[in-house]
Amino acid sequence: MIQVTNLSKSFGDLHAVKNISFKINKGEVFGFLGPNGAGKSTTINMMSTILQSDKGTILVDGINLKENPNKCKGLIGVVPQEISLYDEFTAYDNLLFWGSIYNIPKNELKQRIDKILELIGLSDRKNDLIKNYSGGMKRRINIASALLHNPKILFMDEPTVGVDPQSRNRIFEVVEALNKQGMTIVYTTHYMEEVERLCNRIAIIDNGEIIAQGTQNELQKKSNVNEAVEITFESISGDQVEKLKKELKGEIIQIDNTVAIACDVNKDLSSIISICNNENLTIEDLELKKVNLEAIFLSLTGKQLRD
Amino acid sequence: MILTILKKDLKLFFADKRGVLLTFLLPILLITLFAFAFGGIGGGSSESKPMELLVSDIDNSIDSKSVIAKLDSLKGVTIIRKGKEEATNLVRKGKYVGVLIFEKGFQDSINAGNDLPMELKYDAAREIEMGMLQGVLMQNLMSSVGQKAVKAKISTYFDANFSGTSESVKDKIFTDMDSDESGMSTMMSDSSGLKMTSIIKEDSKKGNLGLIQAVAGTAIMMLLFSIAGIGGGLLDEKEAGTLKRLLYSPLKPTDILFGKMGAALVLAILQLVVMFIFSWIAFGLPIFKDIPSLVLMIFATGFAVSSFGIFLVAIAKSRQQLQGYSTIIIMLMSAIGGSMIPLFVMPAIMQKIAVVSVNYWGIQGFYDIFWRSLPLTDILPRIGVLLGIGVVMTFVSVRLFKKNVLKLV
Repeated sequence: MIQVTNLSKSFGDLHAVKNISFKINKGEVFGFLGPNGAGKSTTINMMSTILQSDKGTILVDGINLKENPNKCKGLIGVVPQEISLYDEFTAYDNLLFWGSIYNIPKNELKQRIDKILELIGLSDRKNDLIKNYSGGMKRRINIASALLHNPKILFMDEPTVGVDPQSRNRIFEVVEALNKQGMTIVYTTHYMEEVERLCNRIAIIDNGEIIAQGTQNELQKKSNVNEAVEITFESISGDQVEKLKKELKGEIIQIDNTVAIACDVNKDLSSIISICNNENLTIEDLELKKVNLEAIFLSLTGKQLRD
Repeated sequence: MILTILKKDLKLFFADKRGVLLTFLLPILLITLFAFAFGGIGGGSSESKPMELLVSDIDNSIDSKSVIAKLDSLKGVTIIRKGKEEATNLVRKGKYVGVLIFEKGFQDSINAGNDLPMELKYDAAREIEMGMLQGVLMQNLMSSVGQKAVKAKISTYFDANFSGTSESVKDKIFTDMDSDESGMSTMMSDSSGLKMTSIIKEDSKKGNLGLIQAVAGTAIMMLLFSIAGIGGGLLDEKEAGTLKRLLYSPLKPTDILFGKMGAALVLAILQLVVMFIFSWIAFGLPIFKDIPSLVLMIFATGFAVSSFGIFLVAIAKSRQQLQGYSTIIIMLMSAIGGSMIPLFVMPAIMQKIAVVSVNYWGIQGFYDIFWRSLPLTDILPRIGVLLGIGVVMTFVSVRLFKKNVLKLV
C-alpha cells in the first residue's frame, strides 16, 4: 500500500530522517515506535504531503506522492498529534466542515457523520461545543474528522496522548474496527502497549533511522532478547547452581539467592519447578520475564523508549 | 517566580528579531511622519511646493495677461492655463484647488471703473488651501489691477457727480491716496471684485464635508484594523493545528488564502455598509444619492482592504509580527491617506505622497460621490486604482504565502 525508498529529510544541520526504506502492506496496522524526536512525525508529515522530502520516493497505492500529491491526499486520512478542531464549533459542525473540504455531497456527508459518530460513541454529544468536551472525547472527534472521506490509509500520529484509560480503550476499539473494515493504518506512538496490542508489524525508529522492522517475533529474534524465569530461593549453593545449569539448557545468571533462567516460559516452567523441587530448593519468589517491546527496544537502541 | 516568568517573556520577545524591530520602528516612523505632516522638519532650508492655480483667460487682453504674468512671477503660485470648461471640470474632480477666470470685458471694466468680471471657482473640500491661495491672490492680484480700477472708479464717480472737476484736481486726489497706503489698500480690497464661488453647487442631497471625511476616513481605517484580524485568525489556525489539517486535505494553499480573503471581503463590505447606514440614520448622510457608485466604491474599497489583510497573513509568522506589521501599515496608511488628518490640512508634498495609501483612494472616492457629486464615469478611475491595488497585493500575497505556508506548520 505504501512503499518508501531511501527517504531523507534535513532541517539545516539536523538530519531528521536518514535514508529510510520500508513497506506497509494493504490492510495492516503498521506501528512506528520511537522516542520523541526520533523522526516519526517528520516521516508521517512527508507521507501525508505537507513536508517535502530531500531525497527518496514514496508510493501510495502505486502513485508517486511527489508527482501527484493531490491524488494521494484523497487516499489518506491524517489524525494529527494536536487536537485540530474548532473549539467554538459543535462536534457535528466540525465534522461537517472537515468533510466538506473533500467535496463530499452534503446528504452523503451527513450519513457518514452519523455513522462515524456512532463508531466513536459520541452520537449523543454531537451538538456539544468542542470546547466543552473532555480531552478523550476531543481525541475521538479528531480521529473522526480524518475518516469522513473514507481514506484507504489512515495515519495516526500519537492519537492517545493525554487521554484517560476509558477513552484510550475506545480509541483502540475504533482502530481495530477500522482495520477490520480493511483500512490500512500507520500508527506512531511511544507507548509500547499500544503497539503490542494494535500493530501487525513495527518499525523501530531512532535518530532518524529505522533500527529494525518486522513482526514482534521477528524483532525479538533480531534483538536476541529471551524470555526468562527469575527465581529467588531461600538459599542456594554454588553446587546447586551448577546442577541447575546441567539440567537446564538455557543460560543461567546468579545474583545472590536469585537465579535468572533464559527459557521458553510456557514450555519450560513446569520442568524448572520440578528440578528445583528435586534439588530441595525452597522457592521464595518467582517472576516470569516475558519479552516485550520495551526490552527489545532497549536491546536494539541501548536506550529506554521514553528517554 | 515572577522574575523567572519576566525573564522568560523577555527572552521570547527578543528571540523574534523582526518583532523587536517593528516595536521600535513604529514609533520612530510615526514621529517622523507627523513631524513632516505638520512642517516640524525641513522648514528651515527647504521651500514648500508652490500652489497650482488654474487660470482661464477668456478676455485675453493686455490687462488680463499682465495680471496673469504678475501672478506667475510669484514664488508661491504656479499658473496653469486652461480653457474655462476644462479647468472647471478639473477642479470639480478635485485635481486642482481652483480656477481663476477672467471673463470677457475684464479690461473694459477696469477702464470703465466697473465691477471686474473675474471669478475664482474653487473646491470647498480643499478649504485650507483655498484660504491660503485667496490670501496670496488678494495681496498680489489687486496690486496690479486694483489701483487702475480704483482710479477709474473715482474718476467715473467725479464725472457723474462733480462734472467739471479738472484733471489736475483728480491727480491731486490720487497722489494723496497713494501716500496713504492704508486708505488705498482698503479701497482696493473693497473694490477687488473677486467673486468666490464654490464649484460644488449647494445641493440638499449633498453631504456635509466634515461628515464625509469623518465617515469615510474612520470607516476605512477601522476596516483595516478589522481585516488585520484575519491575519490573526490564520495564526490561530496554526496554533490550533487546524491549518495543518487543512493542508492535509486536497485544498491548495491558495484556496486557504483566498478563503480567508473572501471572508475578509465579506466582512469589509458588511462593515462599510453598516457604517454608511449608521451615518445615514445618525447624521443624515445621503447614501441613496448615487447607489451604483456607492456599491462599486464599497466593493472596490473592501477588495483593496481585504487584499491588505491577506498580505498581512502572508508576511506575518507570529502574533508579535502581525501586531507590528498591521499597526505600522495601518497607522502609516491612515495618516498619509487622510483618515487621521484630513488631506486638505496637509502640505502639498504630503498630498502627493497620499496616493500610495488605500485610504486616500477610498476617501477621495467617497468625496466624489457625496461631495463632488461626480457621475460614475468620473469615479471609475478611483475604483480602478482600488481594484488595481487589490490585484497587485493579492498577487504578492499569493506568492509569499505559497513560499511560507509550509513553514507555518
